[in-house]
Order: sequence, then C-alpha cells, then structure tokens
Amino acid sequence: MLVAAVCLLVAGPPASSQSAGPTLASIRGRVEVRRELAPVGARPSVADLGAPATPDAPDRRRSVVYLEEAPRGAFEEPVRARATMDQRNEAFVPFVLAVAVGTTVDFPNSDRTYHNVFSFSKTKRFDLGRYARGRSKSVRFDRPGVVRVFCDIHSHMSAFILVFAHRYFAATDTEGRYRIDRVPPGTYTAVAWNDGQPRLSRPLRVPEAGGVVELDFVLP
Amino acid sequence: MGSRALWTTVVALWAVGPVLAADPRSLAGGRLRLGGEASFALAAEDEGFFNFTDYRDSYLRMARLGASAELRLSPHLALLGEARTYNFRDLRAYALYARVRPFSTREIDFQVGRIPPVFGAFARRRYGADNPLLGLPQAYQYLTSLRADALPITADDLVRMRGEGWLVRYPLGNRVPAAGMPLVASLQWDTGAEVRIGGEPLQLSAAVTQGTLGNPRFTDDNDGKQLAARVAWTPLTGLILGASGARGEYLDRDVQALLPPDLGRRRYRQEAWGADAEYSRDHWLVRSEVIWADWDMPAVGAPLITSPLRSRAVMVEGRYKLAPGFWVAARFDDLAFSDVQATGGTFTWDAPVRRLEVGAGYAVHRYVQVKASWQRNRRDGGVVHAQDFVAGQVLLWF
Repeated sequence: MLVAAVCLLVAGPPASSQSAGPTLASIRGRVEVRRELAPVGARPSVADLGAPATPDAPDRRRSVVYLEEAPRGAFEEPVRARATMDQRNEAFVPFVLAVAVGTTVDFPNSDRTYHNVFSFSKTKRFDLGRYARGRSKSVRFDRPGVVRVFCDIHSHMSAFILVFAHRYFAATDTEGRYRIDRVPPGTYTAVAWNDGQPRLSRPLRVPEAGGVVELDFVLP
Repeated sequence: MGSRALWTTVVALWAVGPVLAADPRSLAGGRLRLGGEASFALAAEDEGFFNFTDYRDSYLRMARLGASAELRLSPHLALLGEARTYNFRDLRAYALYARVRPFSTREIDFQVGRIPPVFGAFARRRYGADNPLLGLPQAYQYLTSLRADALPITADDLVRMRGEGWLVRYPLGNRVPAAGMPLVASLQWDTGAEVRIGGEPLQLSAAVTQGTLGNPRFTDDNDGKQLAARVAWTPLTGLILGASGARGEYLDRDVQALLPPDLGRRRYRQEAWGADAEYSRDHWLVRSEVIWADWDMPAVGAPLITSPLRSRAVMVEGRYKLAPGFWVAARFDDLAFSDVQATGGTFTWDAPVRRLEVGAGYAVHRYVQVKASWQRNRRDGGVVHAQDFVAGQVLLWF
C-alpha cells in the first residue's frame, strides 16, 4: 500500500505545462504526530567490553506530505536533482528524505568510524561498501517507491527515502511544517506519511485563483 | 535434531522472520532493549568430530537460539544478559553481568558477572552478522585432548588421545570420558570482573576471572584466578590491530589432589598470547588471528610429558560482497602442537589439523540470511584423518 501510494501515477487535473497559465497555488500546513514514538535503540551490546557510543536519536516525527494523485503531465518533467543523506553520530540525517525519480542522493560519512550504507528494498537494492570520514558515495533513484536504508556495521542506523514519480511532495521541518508549491488548480487527496506508513489522507481543493491552501494533519 | 523438526522450524522462521525482525526492540522508553538470533545448520555427520564443540554437538549440525537483553538502570549502570540453547537443550545464561560507567565523559567501564572475554577478537563477534561462514575458527572451537579434570600419567597416555578431543579419557582424575578443551572457548564465557579504558584509537582492557581461556567457569575449581588483558589499536579507519595475553590455573583441585605431593603443590596454568588484525574497505573484509597457548602438565610417570604443552593456531579469513546482500568468503585454519617423547617415538601431543572453508551467503531480507559452505579438514591423527563437508544454514537475527 505504501509503495502504491508513493508510486501513484493516476493523472489528476492538468499540470501547468498543459495549459496557457492557470494560477498555481501552494499547499502548506503542519503535521502533528501525537502518538508516542518509542526510540529506536541499538541491539543489546552484550559482547562489548564497555558501553558503546551513544548515537543520535533519529527524528521519527519527521513526516512527508504528498499528493496522492498528481496533476496530469507532472511525470513528464525530467529530474536531475541531488540530495544528501548524511551519516553523523551513527545516525542518518535526515531520517526521512523525499526525492523525485531521477534524483541522485549523496551519502557522505561525517563520522570517525566506517559506515556501510545499503538497502534491500525492491525499489532500489544497493550496497555502497565501507568508507571512511570525508568520503561520500551516491545512488541514483530511478524508480518510485520506498527505500529503507541501513548501515551494515551499525544495526541501529536506519532511514527512509521516499522516491516520487512527481514533484508534489514535501518533507516536514523540525516544527512539523511543510509546503508544496506550484500546484495547479484542482481537487486532490493529500497524504501524510510518518514512520514507515501513510497515516492520514485528506481531500483538498486548490482554487482557480491560486493562493495558499492551508492543510494541517493530526496523526493519532 | 531431526530433519523434520529442523525444516519445520526453518519454514516457520522464514514466514515470521520479516515480522519479528523489524527495528531493534526497545521497551520502557528505550531503557530495555532486546535482541535475538536463531540459526539452523545442516551438514553430513561429522564422523571425525572436526566441528564438535562438546562431545554431543557438531557446529555444522546445530540449531542455535539466543535472546539478549540490556536494561539501563541509570546512565551509569546497566544489566546485560544473553541466554542460548543449542539443539533445543540446556538453556543457559551465556552472559549475565552488570556494566558500570562511573564517568559520563570518560571511556572507562567496569563489567562484573559472566562477562565477554577480553582475549582475542573472535569470541566477541556476533555469530550471525559477523561470521561470513558456518564454521568457527579452530582456535575457538576445536577440542584438544586436554582436560581440566583428568590427566594423562605418561606421554603414552597423552599420545593415545591424539585427535580424539571430542571424547577424552585419562587414568588420573575423572574417569568418565568427556570432551577436551579448545584453546579458547567461545561458546561459554567466564565469570569475573573486567575494565575497559579508552576507545579509538587505543583501547585497553583487562579481566580477572574464575576459569581459563579453554575452561571458562562459573565457580572456581582450583583457587586460582586468570588474568587476561588486551590492547587494541586503530591507527586508521578500518584497520584494527590487537594483542592479547592470558594466564590462569586450569587444573581442577580434585585431580591435583591425586598428584604426588611434590607435583600437587605446583600450579598448572594455561598461558596464551594472541595477535589479531582486521582490515576492511569498500566491499572487502580481511581478518587474521594467531594464538599461542601453553599448558603446564605434571610429569607423573615415564615416559614423562615435556611441559609445557604448546599449541599454535593461525586463522585468516576474508569476505567480499559481490552484490547487495550476496557475499563470498573463505577461511583457512592451521592448528599445530609441540612434540612429546613417547614409547613409540616423537609425536605431537595432539594431532595437527588444517581446515579450509569456502562459502557464500545471501541476505534474503535484512535480518534473514542463507549460507552455504564447503569445508575441508585434514588431521594427522585420530580415527578419521580427513573429512569434507557441504553445509547449509538459515539464520535470523533481530
């Protein structure tokens, strides 16, 4: 269901490229995650001779809002973007990254120790091997879907990369705010995704006059 | 374990594996963390007992279940434990200890209880994720013909047991046949206290324990303690160099009491030195360990046993990831022993063994692996001098 939601290619209203010039709008709002999110901890360090370093906790409240049905023509825009998912203090930063198909994601290592980024996701299966601080390796994501990213050395390190076939999505900031720009007029369904799943869908209408549409999500 | 039970369990695990194996389990706001591991290996009968870890079980024909937990009582105190069962028998506390970190900003830890071994590198590796093959390095698994509770009187008694370490019987002490000791026991941890100072690039650790490397114990059996220490140096990312030493009395007081007075007053120690190295980069991982282990032996009767009995183990292993989740690996082991003079001539006190294991693994999911390997064993002694195995394994961890 999650992959299907991210991959949705159902055409909605026409995108900007298909008409002479409908007024484009922005969708913005806030995603509030109310449920308790248990911290993701490392496995018990029973075989260690002492306490291991305390890694940074991933920001599991970070969410992604996207349009379930993107405007017609939205998939025809080629993407050659780059994004970054850092490895810092034994955590992937950000914990959730949303990109469009065609984006190349860089995985720099900012830690003193080795990291080994890999994913066995059907959307993209890769293994970057071990590399040290200051080095970076990259992966191009050429199919829509959800990619679960791990470190082969540090089992507590994990992250999500959501790869969209269109550009109508946005990740929330540390306050839970998001903003999706350049949305053509029409009726859509917006989805708030959090912690591995689409949690809540809400219909919305972008008026012909454009402007800003406010849409908040409260995830129980 | 029967094949039917094995395959039923494998299929069940295969079905529930992805569900069980989500993110690391944590409860109580992250203060209690849980982990687990299950592995099932199958191979032909080990008629030469090359992979036996005691007199009953071969490591290539073993179901292994383990559960671990860590409870953080405060920022300075944690309780850790791991219980394991092999072939669904004898659920035992493999580890159970308290970890104290007195200073939040300094890398100094004290651990008390049934603690992870300080010596060497392999015994602290997680079997599932860190072992690219099915077998264990010989230094940490192969059973020599020495026992802590029974002694050969003459060199002939000792030589008679060459290559028979899975079931040893000697005339002095416990007369019930039992398995001998490996150089370093990795399937059972010792009891005592240890300290770890530092991290990268330099880490020092030392331990005082009840037993010895080859015979870890929960309770003391000879009033002697083992001292062990290790220094690990990481000169650059990906390279770890380690050196270890250990010395402790291994002989059970009951058998020592049977020795003539002049011999009974002495202390009989296992002393070991080790060097280990690990280097990894990109999709490569190479490890090596060398261990020298000596045992003091009483010279009771002629032909006398030349003490100490020496042994030397060399292990080199490598792993290369060919594709995401798919790797190939190989390990070479060589285990050698010093000579003794017996009636029939000069012999090594146990039969030298060489092992080559080559294999491959595939991660079906992140937490579910399948492995297969071919293992070649050659030994200069014992009833079976050579045996090769093809082995397979399913492994789940979370």
